[in-house]
Amino acid sequence: GFVLFGFFLFKVRGPPPAGSLKKRPAKRTAFRKFYERGDFPIAVQHAGVANKIAWKVEIESLDYHYFLPLFFDGLCETEFPYEFFARQGVHDMLEHGGNKILPVVPQLIIPIKNALNLRNRQVLCTTLKVIQHLVVSAERVGEALVPYYRQILPVLSIFKNMDVNLGDGIEYSQQKRENIGVLIKETLELFERYGGEDAYINIKYMIPTYGSC
Amino acid sequence: KMSEVSEVMTKAGIKPKSMHRAKIWSDDVENLYRFQQAGYRDEVEYKQVKQVDEVECWPETGFVKKLQRRDNTFYYYNRQRECEDKDVHKVKVYVY
Repeated sequence: GFVLFGFFLFKVRGPPPAGSLKKRPAKRTAFRKFYERGDFPIAVQHAGVANKIAWKVEIESLDYHYFLPLFFDGLCETEFPYEFFARQGVHDMLEHGGNKILPVVPQLIIPIKNALNLRNRQVLCTTLKVIQHLVVSAERVGEALVPYYRQILPVLSIFKNMDVNLGDGIEYSQQKRENIGVLIKETLELFERYGGEDAYINIKYMIPTYGSC
Repeated sequence: KMSEVSEVMTKAGIKPKSMHRAKIWSDDVENLYRFQQAGYRDEVEYKQVKQVDEVECWPETGFVKKLQRRDNTFYYYNRQRECEDKDVHKVKVYVY
């Protein structure tokens, strides 16, 4: 824009872009360090199936306090095989964790926050699906997450309106569950449904444009 | 009913007489898919090889939950259906 100062017109530049939507570089994760050390209870070399990992030990006997945050840390990874093992490992541990998951929830917040802060589309999609699985994985996990909304929700607020206007085109990413706007909406609705009485008001405080489901 | 039959088969060490491919999905096909992913023909062979009486299943759906492979690693399976329609024809159904 221009500013009139006396008889002179000065061209004024707006504030520089803050880069809230820009990807940030990922640091080397603890997950990768432990994976390369061979500390993980996963069988790496086997002629197995594409979407499954083979566990060296029974998941039920794993120390969730040690392993679950480590696997969550791997959500920041984007390269194969780290990304695959982290995602599948988290899935299996949440699916079979039962009451071992709830006590570990506070330790999962920092890895989740780190993954969301990367502002990487692919990582965002994976992390949102993992959060959705976490909320429904066991009793009272949804309620346990409420105090941590102020750490997780700000990034979701930035990407919430990332719905692309294609006109009359077909939105394939929605079908493949990769549309970020839709995933965020689903996640917030799960938070509200499983978060107990205080959930809605806390979500609304962090994301004023959210509408109750 | 599947487990009673397979208990008898397991004790006798009986081998299947014939095999055909599944055409449409069903609960039995889903479980066969899971056994075959882990490297076994079916529940009968799994119990013979692993010398177990019971296979751990999801209570809600009855689908196989966990199997130990021949290299002793474990495969865990989802509560819900995993065998997609495009994979159904790959599932082998053994007849005893």
